[in-house]
Order: sequence, then structure tokens, then C-alpha cells
Amino acid sequence: GSWRNSMAPPSERPGERRGAEMKKLYGEDAAKIQAMEAAMQLNFDRHCDLKQPKYWPVIPLKL
Amino acid sequence: MQCDWPLLGPLQWMRYVNKQVKVKAGKDEERRGWLLTVDPVSASLVLVDFKEDGGASVQVVMGHAVEEVEVLQEADEETTQRLQSSFLPAKTRRLDP
Amino acid sequence: SIATSASSETNAEQLPIEQHARSVLRETFLRCLLSMTNKKVQFLMHERVKVEATFGASDIDVLNFQVSDLHTPIGVQKEALIRCQDVISFTCDS
Repeated sequence: GSWRNSMAPPSERPGERRGAEMKKLYGEDAAKIQAMEAAMQLNFDRHCDLKQPKYWPVIPLKL
Repeated sequence: MQCDWPLLGPLQWMRYVNKQVKVKAGKDEERRGWLLTVDPVSASLVLVDFKEDGGASVQVVMGHAVEEVEVLQEADEETTQRLQSSFLPAKTRRLDP
Repeated sequence: SIATSASSETNAEQLPIEQHARSVLRETFLRCLLSMTNKKVQFLMHERVKVEATFGASDIDVLNFQVSDLHTPIGVQKEALIRCQDVISFTCDS
């Protein structure tokens, strides 16, 4: 599905770059927030794999 | 009116937390509620309304649709407590120094 | 999409305070989304579209909501993705 496109990591050193960004944004709490986000994204991806939802409406209301 | 709500940043958004706010979003849509939090990623607001039966209704207003946010009043201690404990599982609830 | 304009103005002393504020706000938001799992929500969308559905999950960038039993004006769609850009607000009673 197309929701994956937005989640595709940047091509060079995705993990490292994301970690550094998280550290800059959340400081000492970066690891905690990153863990919560990882769990949530996994949950979302799993739901989508399982249920194969289609976009509604098919055409975006607002571009 | 051009609104810069999504650009305010965490320290500014914090000033609205635990306040009763009036939010204009979308065409002539207006809503009120106690502001629980603002998502720093999407600038979306979470408004809570307490009902008489003890329940609560939660409204999320998407950051991109926000046109205006106005503070109506501050929460008293009881309302703050009630608000902030709404979504925390009991075991992770703790008082920060 | 994270606002960075404020952080460029903050000095070194303020940075940890801003980071902590961001983290508290984000954590509360994520918990709130999680609390909506399997609950009925009403979406108010652009073009005055109102629909009801059972909330499933949100991606972390808040771009898409995965929902079930979406009551559209032309019938029920069992499984659906809603674009957050189409949404003005959504409400959940608990």
C-alpha cells in the first residue's frame, strides 16, 4: 500500500540519522519516545497487512 | 487569517495545556474543551470534555486545520488532576519533581 | 513536519526544557491515540463530510488512520484508511 512510501527510510544510514534526530528533538527522553513510536508503527503496519484497508475517500478531499 | 499554530513549538504549546480553550478549525467550525496535549509532530490538539455521568469525550483537532486557539480559563487543581490522569495507566503515573 | 523554528531561537539552557516539553506532549498524545483503539469515533472531514468508524491505529507521522466499519454516505466499508489531511477533527466518547 502507498502508506508505506512515507515510511521508507532515507537511503544513507537511516537508523543512525533517525537516532540523532530523535536525540535532538527529545533529548534524554529520545529512547523512550522512539520505543513508543516503534511499537505504534509496528501495530499500524500489522493492522494494514492483515486487513488490507483501502483509502476512503479514493480521491483526497484536500490536496 | 494566516495562523502559525503548527510553528509555535513545544514551549509555546505548553502554555495552552490544562486550559479551557476555544479552537477554530475548518470553515466556521468552533469547539471548546480542556487542552490535554498538543502533538509536537502534527501540531494536533487533544481536547477533553467531562460529562456529568463521569465519562469524558475526547476530541482531536488536526494541526493543519487549526485557524485560531483562544484561552478561556485555567483549570483548577481538581480538573487538572482529572485531565492528566485520563489516559495514563496507573502504573506509569508518577509525579515529576 | 516538526516545528524547528522555536528551537533555533532557544539557547543552550532552554534546550533541555524544550526537549522535555516536547517529550511530555508527544507521549501524552501517543497514549491518547492508543486509548482510542477499538472505540467508535466520529470524523469531521473537509467538504463537511461526517463519517463514523471504529478506530484501529495511526501511523506515527499522523498521516493515516486505519479504521474498521466505516459508515460512508454510500454504505459501510469494512476496512479503510483515512488520510489525516482530509480530517479536520475527530471525536471519541469514553
